[in-house]
Parts: sequence; structure tokens; C-alpha cells
Amino acid sequence: MKGKRLKCFGLALGCLAASFLDIAESLELIPTEGTYIVPYVANAAGILYNRDMFAEHGWQIPETWSELIQLCETIQGEGILPFYFGWKDIWTCLAPWNAMAVELSPSDTAKQVNRGQTTFTQEYRELAEKYLNLLDYGPGDPFAYGYNDACTAFARGEAAMYPIGSYAAPQILSVNPDLNMDSFVMPAGDNKEDRTLNSGIDLGFCVMASCENKEAAYEVLDFLLEYENMQKYIDDQNAVPCRNGEFQLASILDGMLPFIEEGNMTDYQDHYYPSEMSVDALLQTFLIQKDVDAFLANFDTSWQRYNRDIIRMVQEYEQGR
Amino acid sequence: MKNDRQRTFLLITVPILALFVCFNTIPLIRGVIYSFTNFRGFGKYDWVGLRNYIDLFTDVRVGKSYLFTIKLAVVTTIVVNVISMVLALGLNSKIRAKGFFRGAYFLPNILGSLVVGYIFNYFFTYIIPALADMTGITALSKSILSSPDKAWIGVMIVCAWQAIAMNTIIYISGLQTVPEDVYEAGGLDGATGWKQFRYLTFPLIIPFFSINMVLCVKNFLMVFDQIMALTKGGPAQSTESISYLIYNNGMSGGQFGFQSTNAVVFFIVIVIISVAQMKFSGSKEEQL
Repeated sequence: MKGKRLKCFGLALGCLAASFLDIAESLELIPTEGTYIVPYVANAAGILYNRDMFAEHGWQIPETWSELIQLCETIQGEGILPFYFGWKDIWTCLAPWNAMAVELSPSDTAKQVNRGQTTFTQEYRELAEKYLNLLDYGPGDPFAYGYNDACTAFARGEAAMYPIGSYAAPQILSVNPDLNMDSFVMPAGDNKEDRTLNSGIDLGFCVMASCENKEAAYEVLDFLLEYENMQKYIDDQNAVPCRNGEFQLASILDGMLPFIEEGNMTDYQDHYYPSEMSVDALLQTFLIQKDVDAFLANFDTSWQRYNRDIIRMVQEYEQGR
Repeated sequence: MKNDRQRTFLLITVPILALFVCFNTIPLIRGVIYSFTNFRGFGKYDWVGLRNYIDLFTDVRVGKSYLFTIKLAVVTTIVVNVISMVLALGLNSKIRAKGFFRGAYFLPNILGSLVVGYIFNYFFTYIIPALADMTGITALSKSILSSPDKAWIGVMIVCAWQAIAMNTIIYISGLQTVPEDVYEAGGLDGATGWKQFRYLTFPLIIPFFSINMVLCVKNFLMVFDQIMALTKGGPAQSTESISYLIYNNGMSGGQFGFQSTNAVVFFIVIVIISVAQMKFSGSKEEQL
């Protein structure tokens, strides 16, 4: 299939940040010529923390995995809950998973597995083992509380940190508008230079090939991409803009600014998981049963089962090359 | 004259029949057709023949959902019918403010099941553990909905709470069809209390009993609202009911074709169970 080069009427695709166009390209299962999406805004997923609480106790932002664990021990030692989890709503199990996966496994893990070059049992072992460590620093029964409960608890200062993305900010601030929140990239390895921000295209626009009013559609896209309109949108949504330019980002993203400015970001691994595989449910089961081998084996088997058609498509493409 | 009557009857039935065919039969047939494809709910799809059906019978997750749903249905049906029968006997006897009590016990039925589910969710998550901590009962201090082994009991409680209302009404109306002189005659022969219930009352209300059983089993096999509000299939996928799996994976999971297969098989299962129940109960009915 021939691609149609998307040309914004007036603004060229060049106004869009390269890192997000790359993310869009890598989402294609079979590389296809052309750009098929105009990335509009992205999010930033790491760990949200209570700025006032950290300042009051003099805690430092951790830059490696061992520093993070050390910080949790310190916080716990002072009788405060380090993390709150909302794992009754199973999709929240994916947040820390994604944030750690960007550092601990290759960004194209799913594609490599589809090509038969590796297995999840190999690539996700360290990730799964480290994830279990977080359980020690959360509430006693993290599966009783859902996303809303966790946001409320964090907003009320019942925990120092909350490992979830910037998209949770509106919910948290609706409970406590005075909360002084910031975020930092979740470290998962031992080398602080290996860190990368877990970010993905939150909102993007596509124009269908069969659209009869493409010029009108491009005009709308140009309008949305204009500087003032973009700024208005990201003010309202605490989002990260996908176009180049000097923008004022929400204060909760301060800790992530160096990564955003450098373009050092990697897409969510779960963008490759088919939703019917319910990886979030598998993760919740894993966190309850704490069996790393069973979980990884189940991941690989389920993957083969739910991706049959895609794997066949990818392998046909590979053979045809 | 006769043609006029027939025409009136046709005019009444045909529009309703048309609506029924349009919104029930045609989607049913389309669903069966989709069950032979790998339709994701959008986009294009291919015919895969019987692959979905073969997958269905080897899918562990589907198998577990059937086991869970059947377990829930059986236990809840028994609990509901026992409690409803007891309540109906009580509400049919000579007590004061009978009308008020009947209304009060029927109240759960008219509430929206999703709202009831959410309220019970809050109840199980916060209120019961708080009460347990206060009174020192450690067994209940963790939310029942976060335990993979016990979450189904929470679902059962909520299902039963609402279903008892309707069942009680049906049993009350059944008890009222039993004529007084049967009890008088039985009283002369010494049939009182439990004997009276087992040999006199119960055989005469078997039609109502079979209606209740069929409706209960059907409703609880199709449990969905309570799962959505209480557990969303968790924890650890222990409360994924058949309907929930069909909806979740079919609608938001891109498995529309495969879950249509699940739905077709589910439909056949329910029909078989209901017909079997009716045949079994029908043979036991005693007509006065």
C-alpha cells in the first residue's frame, strides 16, 4: 500500500518533534512508507511525588534503582507509606511495569518476539523480579483499592509517591487542588545515564484516505497546531506537546523537563500488547501469586495464542524481504 | 366480521413482530455469522470457519469463566430460594403491617443493579474492614473483594440481596393459591410445621418453584452488572463471568468474532439448562 505524505496546509510536518514521529513509525507492525498520524500531545509516565513532603523531610530524587529502594526504606522508616497502588483497577498495574520496561528491555521487544528472535521469558525476567520488590513499600492490601481510591489517598498525603503517569493529575487535583506535586522518571537500572522517559502519543489525528474534504481537514489540523492553541490545550491537560517550540509545561512535569527537552523518551511497551490478552489482569495475578516463572511462561503462551494472525503476517513479510 | 377480527389481531402483532425480528432475531443471526470470522469489531475481517469453535473448547480462560459462573449460579440460586421461601412463608402468615413489610422487602429489586453494586463495593472495601477492626474480628478485616478465593462470595451476596425480592413475591403469590381447607384437612391428620410444608405446601407450589429456579439460574448465569461494579473480573481473574468475558474481550478487546462464538455456545447452554429444568420440574407438579 502506497503511503500518502501528510502535508499540513501551511505548516509542514517538520513542525512536529522527531521523537514522536519515530514513536509513530515504530508502532507499525510492518514498516510502511509514509506518516499516518499527526501526533498532537503526549503524556509522561514516571512516579508522581508530594513535593512538600519531600522538602520537609529532605528526601532526594532517586536516579538509580538502588537509590529508589533506599529512599523507600527511609520513608518507611519514618512511618510514612512510600507508595500507594490502585491495583483493584487492573489497568493501573501496567503503569509501573511500563515505566520500568523502557529501561530494562529493548523498546522493540514485542516485534522481536513476533519475528521469533527472543521470548518474553528472557526479556522480562529482571523487570518482573524488580516489580515484585515494590510490593513491600505499598499498602498492606493494594488489591482492595482502585484508581480513584489511590488518587484520593495520594492527594490527601497518605503516601509520599504514586507510580502513575501525568494523566492522573486532574483526578488527584480534583480531590486536593492545593497539592504540590511533581514527577520524576522511574529509575529501574543501576546506571543513571540509561534512564529514559516513558512517554507515548496520547492524542493524535489521522485523515482517512477516503476523506473527501482533505484540505478542510488539514486546515483544522493547522489551527490545532498553532502555537497559542497548543499552549491552551497543554495548560488544560497537563500534557506534553508533540510539536517543536518553546512551550510552558505544567509544573507537575518539572522533574521530567530534561528528558522532554532532550527528546529522550521511549514508548509504552503495552502499546504492542493486544487488549484481549489482558496483560493487566495477568500482571495483577502475578502480583498476587508472586510466581515469576509461571507468569513469564503464561505471558509467552498467551502471546502466541492471541497474536497468531499478526505473527503470521510479520513472518510472511520477513520471508518476503 | 371474522376477517375484521383477524385483521385487528394482525395489525397488533405485525409491528411488534417486526420490532422483535429487527432488534432480536437479525442481530442473533448476524452474531452467529460473526462467530465464524476473526472480526475485531472494526475494520476488515476474514472467514476462519470452525477455528473459533475449536479454540473455544481449548481456551483455559473461557473454561474457567464457565466454571466460575456455574458455581456462582448454583450457590446463589440455592441461597436465594431458601431465603425467599422462608421470607414468603413469613410474609404470608398473620403478622401486623404485612403490606409494609412486603413493600420493604421488595425495595432491593427496584434499585439499579449497577448502583447497588457500587454501594456494596464501598461497603466491602471500607465499612466492613473498619467494623471488623473495631470489633476485633480479624477474618473480615481485609476487603473480601481483594481475595481471589473469596471475592465470589461478595458477588454472591450482592446478587442474592437483589434477587430475593422478586423470588419472594413469586412464592407469596404461589402460597396464596393453596386453599385453606388443604391445611385444615392436613391438620386433622396431624400434619403441622415442617411436615405440613414438605407434604402439603411444597408439592402444591411446585409450578412457582420451577419458575423461580429457571429464572434464577438464567439470571445468575448471565451475571454482569455485579461483576462490573464489584470486581471487574478480578482479583487475579477469579471472578470473570461468561457475560463479562464476552463483553470485555468482544467489545473493548478486539475479539468480536471469537466472543460471538462464545455467545452462541452460551446461548445453547442456557437453552439446554432451562429446557431440562422445565421438563424435570413439570413432571413433579401436582395439580389439585
